[in-house]
Amino acid sequence: MLAVPFINDILNYDSLSIVGLQKNTGKTECLKYVLARLPLERKRVAVTSIGIDGETTDQVTRTQKPEIVLREGMYFGTSEAHYRQRRLVSELIDVSDESTSLGRVVTAKALTQGKILLSGPSSTSGLQRWMRDTRRHGIDLAIVDGALSRLSLASPAVSQSMILATGAAYSINMSQLVQRTAFVVDLINIGMTSEGNIALLSPLESGMWWIDTDGQLHEMEGATSLSQQVEFHGMDRCATLYVAGALVDSFLEKLRKNKQLRQVELVVRDFTKIFVTPQQLRLFEKAGGRIKVLQKSKLIAVTVNPTSPSGYVLDSEAVCDKISQAINLPVYDLLKSTDC
Amino acid sequence: MQLKNVIESPCALRFMLDGLDLQSGFARRWLLDTEMMTCEAEIEASYDVLRQFVDFVRSIEPSFLNTLLFRLQGVKDIRTTVKNLRQQSTLDDIELFEVKHLAILSTEVAKLLKNHNLDSAVEIQSLDEVITILDPDGMKIASFYIYDSYCEQLKDLRIAMRKNPDKQDELLLEAAEIEEEVRIDLTKKLHSHVDDIERALIALAKVDIGVAKARQVVDQELCFPTISNDGSSCYKALFHPQVKDALNRAGRHYQPVDISFADSPTLITGANMGGKTVVLKTLTLCQLLFQFGFGIPASEASIAIKDEIYFCIGDEQSIEKGLSSFAAEMKNIDAVIQASRQNRRLLALIDEPARTTNPTEGTALVQALLKVLSTKHMSLVMTTHYDIEPGTAHCLRVKGFDNGSMNYSLVEVAGGEVPHEALTIAQSLGIDSEWIDLARKELDESKQQTSTI
Repeated sequence: MLAVPFINDILNYDSLSIVGLQKNTGKTECLKYVLARLPLERKRVAVTSIGIDGETTDQVTRTQKPEIVLREGMYFGTSEAHYRQRRLVSELIDVSDESTSLGRVVTAKALTQGKILLSGPSSTSGLQRWMRDTRRHGIDLAIVDGALSRLSLASPAVSQSMILATGAAYSINMSQLVQRTAFVVDLINIGMTSEGNIALLSPLESGMWWIDTDGQLHEMEGATSLSQQVEFHGMDRCATLYVAGALVDSFLEKLRKNKQLRQVELVVRDFTKIFVTPQQLRLFEKAGGRIKVLQKSKLIAVTVNPTSPSGYVLDSEAVCDKISQAINLPVYDLLKSTDC
Repeated sequence: MQLKNVIESPCALRFMLDGLDLQSGFARRWLLDTEMMTCEAEIEASYDVLRQFVDFVRSIEPSFLNTLLFRLQGVKDIRTTVKNLRQQSTLDDIELFEVKHLAILSTEVAKLLKNHNLDSAVEIQSLDEVITILDPDGMKIASFYIYDSYCEQLKDLRIAMRKNPDKQDELLLEAAEIEEEVRIDLTKKLHSHVDDIERALIALAKVDIGVAKARQVVDQELCFPTISNDGSSCYKALFHPQVKDALNRAGRHYQPVDISFADSPTLITGANMGGKTVVLKTLTLCQLLFQFGFGIPASEASIAIKDEIYFCIGDEQSIEKGLSSFAAEMKNIDAVIQASRQNRRLLALIDEPARTTNPTEGTALVQALLKVLSTKHMSLVMTTHYDIEPGTAHCLRVKGFDNGSMNYSLVEVAGGEVPHEALTIAQSLGIDSEWIDLARKELDESKQQTSTI
């Protein structure tokens, strides 16, 4: 089984996102690895991409961005512009109302193997709609090539399961790489809030809100967690505090220093909304603070690319072992373990 | 005038439109682009269709309705594609997919409607030939690509691709040329059906709109109006849906009113908080709903067709134009007077004109306005608190405070005498007694002075 790590785990879920901690941490290799090995005779698979993908050349590093190779029978979601550039024979099954800078998102089935540039929905709700539509078309597993950056509006956390790609591109210092990766894994593993809170808070897309001990929802007017002015007035009966946007250090610090409020449950949409430093989070938790999320993906595995874009190479085996120990999950260097 | 031009009217037309459960964005856009009807036959026909939709909505199984609504959700705005087809510019795969998707959808919806004898309400073009062109293998699935069966050579090339993935890029290029020829051929074949395709698209929007309007009629208990030919309008148990909704939410009851007005001025007087403004809002709303073919919020309605509808509500300031509330109001009423000089069927609803200026000049302005408009052939409904001489105007008064509560019904009165209930009402609102008592004293003193003189 070691020859095909975590492929069977993926099959337990109806959606998967593959997320890279940084460019060149091997996210695309991981996607290729997964797509090449899924048993298509048993599962109908669809794949799309979110984020600022769309150019054939990586904007940051100027390295060539690979087209994804699809197998015959796979479904894919991409923009109209990239659909027209496809290098395979495919059958259109849906044209959505979801529009991106490259046109609407279309869904098609590959009738031959071949190459395609993926550029799917660019918002979280658009991604959720795309995933729901694929299920209507009989898709068993939707795979999202996910970006993890402030620039991406769509959150990969809407998928049931997740694979995280890390590597020397994130840090070439081994212990720093281990620590920083472990921190992100901790965030991914943050537990979900109660069903009641999820129902109440999910529709709220912006602002800050709190739920009192009677379950009544209140909005904190004019407040964003980024602003320095946030004041916690008249919130004596606050049981849950919800930050719909980004959670940042200054807010967490302010909350920690409020003796009354730091004990309440702090809820964020998902782990991609948390932009706090490990130190600040540790202090918050030490003071009795708790963070929960509305959406969470089950982290299946972590992959490592030990080579940095500058050419520096970490010891693959040592990196995998150390991260694995820190996060208590299997860690793979796919290039090494599979020769892909 | 299109619906989208009046959607923000202060009569709260938007509330009615937002309440329509339309299934596709295309249907909404289509509805907003519809022209206001001013022709009797057209309005008559639109209510005939709506009546059929209401019968349909009332009689069908919920599961069947859901099936239909689900189909209608799939309707996309493919007008650009239709335009390209009309110009015979070669359609690409995505556009061909859109045409095929529409053809299959409209055939399915047509079948559903035919089973319920609704095919006479909205005629949906049969697009069987379009489907045949785009579905050469007879799969009846709304998916599309340049099928192997369009060309033997294409089929061979694709077989070769699967056998030799190494040569794929080369073979794809070769296939691309053939595919383009197929697209040119398909576009040519489809071009002769372009009118049918466009009609089918619009018909689907009409079905969506018809079902949504019909559900609104049933849910909000709206009525079908008759068309009045003598320029007068008459409503029984008239209500404003938004106000009614708000009151019901607060656990309170809405009191509907009866009202009729002719092709001449009608003056409404009455106490503050007596619902005069709501009556004007509702009359404006009903006139617009009528001429855009919606159900009417009343138990019975007979409505005259108008070419132009003016609703002047005094408190609109125009900050962008730098006009005060008085100036904005004067301009609006001026437009009514100008329009009254044209030979058009006109309805003007004017709420408390000149209320923001001093009562002496205000009274003079309103009195003169009534005189000017009385000489014109138009329907005018105007509210006021000023004591003015009604002349030939038909006068209505809100019944007002009745056994400690407000009675909103309108009663006919001979003259335009305005009620003096402001202080009583202020008292009932619990306003500071030092203020109100002093006001009453002032009033008594001035009355005594007048009688002494």
